[in-house]
Amino acid sequence: MILKVAKTICADQWRYWLRTKVAATVLLLGAILTLAALVVNAFHIEEAAHAREHLQTEAEARFKAQPDKHPHRMVHYGHYVFRAPTPLSVIEPGVDTYTGNAIFLEGHRQNSAMFAQQRQSAGLTRFSSLTPSFLALVLAPLFIILIGYGSVSREREAGTLTLLLSQGTTRWQLIFGKLLALVTASSLFLLPLLLACLYVAFSSESPLVVLLFCLSYAIYFMLWATVVTACSALFEKSSVSFTMLIVIWMAACVLLPRLGSSIATNAAPSMGKLEADFKVEEKLRSLGDGHDVNDPAFKKLKEDLLAKYNVDSVDDLPVNFRGVVAQYSEGRQAKVLNEFAENRMGEELQQAQIARQFGWISPTVAVRSISTILAGTSLETHHRFLREAEALRLDFVQGLNKVHVEKLDYQLDMNRNASEEAADKAVVGADNWALLSEFDFKPEPANTRISNALVYFLQLFVWVCFTALLLKAAVRRLNP
Amino acid sequence: MMRFTDIKREAGFVFGHRQIKLTLLVVFLLSVVSLWAGYAEMQEQQATIERLLEKDQVEREAVITHQSSYGMVAYYTFHLTYAPPSPLAFAAVGERDVFPWKHRIRMLALEGQIYESDTDNPELAFLGRFDFAFVTSVLLPLFIILLLYDLKAKEREARRFDLLNVTARNAHAIWTARVIVTLVPLALVTLVPFVVFGLFNGASISSILTVCAIVIGNIAIWSAIVLAIGAARRFASFSATHLASIMLGVWLVTTVIVPVTAHTVINAVVETPEGGDIVLTQREAVNSAWDKPVEDTWKAFIATHPQWADYTTFDPKRDTSFNWKWYYAFQQVGDQTASELSKGYQAATLKKDTIASYVALLSPSLLTQRLLSSAAGTDVSAMVGYENDVRAFHKALREFYYFHLFKDPEFSQESFEALPQFTPSVDAL
Repeated sequence: MILKVAKTICADQWRYWLRTKVAATVLLLGAILTLAALVVNAFHIEEAAHAREHLQTEAEARFKAQPDKHPHRMVHYGHYVFRAPTPLSVIEPGVDTYTGNAIFLEGHRQNSAMFAQQRQSAGLTRFSSLTPSFLALVLAPLFIILIGYGSVSREREAGTLTLLLSQGTTRWQLIFGKLLALVTASSLFLLPLLLACLYVAFSSESPLVVLLFCLSYAIYFMLWATVVTACSALFEKSSVSFTMLIVIWMAACVLLPRLGSSIATNAAPSMGKLEADFKVEEKLRSLGDGHDVNDPAFKKLKEDLLAKYNVDSVDDLPVNFRGVVAQYSEGRQAKVLNEFAENRMGEELQQAQIARQFGWISPTVAVRSISTILAGTSLETHHRFLREAEALRLDFVQGLNKVHVEKLDYQLDMNRNASEEAADKAVVGADNWALLSEFDFKPEPANTRISNALVYFLQLFVWVCFTALLLKAAVRRLNP
Repeated sequence: MMRFTDIKREAGFVFGHRQIKLTLLVVFLLSVVSLWAGYAEMQEQQATIERLLEKDQVEREAVITHQSSYGMVAYYTFHLTYAPPSPLAFAAVGERDVFPWKHRIRMLALEGQIYESDTDNPELAFLGRFDFAFVTSVLLPLFIILLLYDLKAKEREARRFDLLNVTARNAHAIWTARVIVTLVPLALVTLVPFVVFGLFNGASISSILTVCAIVIGNIAIWSAIVLAIGAARRFASFSATHLASIMLGVWLVTTVIVPVTAHTVINAVVETPEGGDIVLTQREAVNSAWDKPVEDTWKAFIATHPQWADYTTFDPKRDTSFNWKWYYAFQQVGDQTASELSKGYQAATLKKDTIASYVALLSPSLLTQRLLSSAAGTDVSAMVGYENDVRAFHKALREFYYFHLFKDPEFSQESFEALPQFTPSVDAL
């Protein structure tokens, strides 16, 4: 019975929307925008995925195709890695356009990611972007407000509310019917998103992640539909409910996320890479220059090695001492570099987490955190990319150093600068370059992403409780 | 004709409204918070530059005293380059959070260094900055809509509309006066904090006035849009909130849809070299030089540096087979090989920016944002200008070292007194 009456009220609301031009326009505009965003973004991501895959294969091929060389020259030749976009970035590109997507890996250095796309956007997409997630998180609530702010107050202003309530419709039935209408209307924006998710789920993403991703967006839409219906019932006049809702939208969707970002920047300033570089250098200077075998820092290494092989001079060692020094100092240096890199990532994450705390006062922030974390386009996943790139760097650099130690004669190596012929002899075969392993970046496993997002689900849950209470209050206080 | 008494009466009326007072207070707070956030961030950037300058100096001197050949010094010394925030950068952070504003450069191929970015936390950049430019270009129009949309409707609903029109000496003057007493305080609560911060931060009076003019212009445009929609005959039968929906629609189309559509179209139309290609090309050129005959490098180098044609031989006693002249020459050749791509990349960035400046004519918000960042020296052209400063500095560095490598004077610590120093270009403001 409750449902039947609610359905009638819902249908009535839909008739009203289709009759008035504003509501119909908004619905149409919203649906078109979401579709356009999805199509444009899907093409863009597809293109980027292909381009980066191609660049990655090319970089690997070029590395392996290098001629016979001194192994240390390959250390400086270096390698590039590219991050392929994750499946869900079709909907939520997240930080991807703000971070670079390529890193140059070489010996003795940790480079930062290059070529952030945002630099090519001429400031056009600083406030908004044609991404499905922006439309869903920022614009869709505005659309829901525009079609729903008067759903109950209109009845009151026209005097039909008294009529409805006196004819035996309960307050719950009325509100529920209005809410149902708004939820179905907002699902017009959500539907393209869900279809895209379904497509992603069947491609390569974990179904559970996709399900939770969809669910958080669906709940977000429900939240706004509920808040709009409740405000429409709570306030006497349509104009007041309109103004209030616009103010709430401005605060939750536009203002608070940015305020969070600015506060985080100032509350926990992070040391930039350049500044950290100085500290790294300071620390490294005490460790010695790996190019120079005579550096006093390597004295102990030399003594240990001589004792181990029971010989008197490095010339008699069965291994290439220059290679040993390179290997040893690269390893020590990598430790220092990683210590600082981890520090920096920790600071960045801390900043991001301060900004994400604003999810307790804005559901938009909460869902944005969930959506970027689940989509694998969050800061955490970017850090994972940096770590994997570093692991690959150390792997091939140390691999080359091992080749240097074992396959290059020390005498030939020391004589390499004597003449061009001598330089041509101090090389190892090109077949050694096959030690480079393939780079195939994948975001964190589904479980890790879900557990990273848990606290933001909690934020969302608090919002669900809050809006449920708001709706209850609206029903209780609904008077003609 | 508007008279003072009209203004006074309307002012009393407007300030009698709690909603309006509250709106003004909120705008005032937003303005202050945005200015403070921008100010704190720029102070931090300034402090960072000062700390870096100090360390940079110490580090370089240590290297110079430690080494004994020009080739080694050139290899190991870094030079800090930076673009300091202008006195108005706190109001419009602009492109400073995606474009690098500091680099440490050395004598190696520049193309491998200049795309390194030491930019801020990407997640915070993604959420966006809450700066004064954002408040005035994106939020202020919404407040104007909220303040003005029910100007007449409120009176109609209160059944005072006809009364007001009849009793007023000039019906038109009443509405004009009411609009003015609403907008002037709005402009004041937005701009007064800005002027205070601007003066405190040492910005020039003319630049402060420019920003004020931009903001007032934006307020005027949006008021005109709102009032025009409110007065349009076509919408005469619409309720106040319907009118407001239309106004929000205009905001949505101009602030969101025009820029993102333009972005999509521009990206499809303007051909941009892949960034990755630049660095890959440069690296291939530099690394393959080791395996190529030395003459190949010299040929390409001399083509652009004929003055060193007679100096390419080297002293085998001092240099053996490895030679710094040749090493830096192939670094130079590496840059030359990638130069076409690199120029194309920068040209594309600028071309996109130029097209965006035309698109901005269709979007008051975008226009305001662009004008503000150009006034604050934080727009794309300022950031590209910094990139070119770095290129010019790197060129001066090369000239210094080429002289010392090719002419081969005795190594002396004193000669480094002539080492080029990076000086940021002073803002035109």
